[in-house]
Amino acid sequence: MSQDHDAALLLAFQRGDQAAFRLLYERNARAMIAYCHRYVRDAGRAEELAQDVFVKLYRTADRYRPSARFKTFLYRVATNHCLNEVRRAEFAARASGPVGQDQAPDLDALPSTDAGPHEVAVARSLQQAVLGVLGSLPEKQRAALVLCRFEGLSYEEIAETLETSVSAVKSLIHRATVSAATALAAFAPGGEEARS
Amino acid sequence: MRHMADELTALLDGALEPAARAEVEAHLAGCAACRAEQGRLTGALSALARLPAAPGPSPYFASRLAARLAAEPPRGLFGRLSAWRWRLALPAGGLAALALAGVLVIRQERGLELAAAAQLDLLQEYETIASADDVETADDAALIAEFDTLDRGGVR
Repeated sequence: MSQDHDAALLLAFQRGDQAAFRLLYERNARAMIAYCHRYVRDAGRAEELAQDVFVKLYRTADRYRPSARFKTFLYRVATNHCLNEVRRAEFAARASGPVGQDQAPDLDALPSTDAGPHEVAVARSLQQAVLGVLGSLPEKQRAALVLCRFEGLSYEEIAETLETSVSAVKSLIHRATVSAATALAAFAPGGEEARS
Repeated sequence: MRHMADELTALLDGALEPAARAEVEAHLAGCAACRAEQGRLTGALSALARLPAAPGPSPYFASRLAARLAAEPPRGLFGRLSAWRWRLALPAGGLAALALAGVLVIRQERGLELAAAAQLDLLQEYETIASADDVETADDAALIAEFDTLDRGGVR
């Protein structure tokens, strides 16, 4: 995502250019769907969440000021929305039964069919473990880890997105990574899953 | 010796200032426990990096989003006014209907008053006639006729 160009598109949209908004979501759709997918297991639901994010962006575009980075503005909207969704889903799950860390992983996110059965099995198992870790983390640790490890945001950008300090982000990411290290030990090089 | 485990993730992410980085690296050179922890964290980052990419947009993503955005209220001052037009229309219409009803009631009441004023003489006659209930004797009738004379000519 080129921040300057996206910011220019959002500013053009603020002036009434509808086509600029279409370009904006076309450029960012894939990244947003991927981001939402780190919060929900289902590809269809991730798409719906990403759509919600763009609808929210459409409604709140006037609040954007060029002094803020577009990327952090977008991820802030997305993070708040996804965490709300997670809270809602967890509430529903608690109401209806045990929390489903044993749910099946999203088949859409698994390696393509040209991967061998072993690779598919390991990928499925890894995905399951990562979903389990993410689901077990406190909200801010989860958001910080996803923004850092999967979206490639810098600590400064994450601080801006989560509206906190860089030192707080450093601590959030470290604690989340320590949890991930424990949960994913079997998938680390030399680990049980990595060897098999 | 103070361990530096809390700085290790930032070190791996290249997020430490040069001075802090040098300090942590110097510590690692002499601390097996922190090196082991660094290895564990590196393993986690490696595992996370192997996670399959999330799926891309479905062929319907753009058209569905476009449909949702088309249902949003128009933007800009004109659009917002336009969107508010219908929201304002109902209360404004209600107020107008109330005002019209008020005018009609007032006009109706004024009409009744005017008609009553026009019929004042008749009403007075009616009162006179109504008082005829009290006429029981010829003397009463003569007295009432006398009142009429007094009304017209005053006391003589």
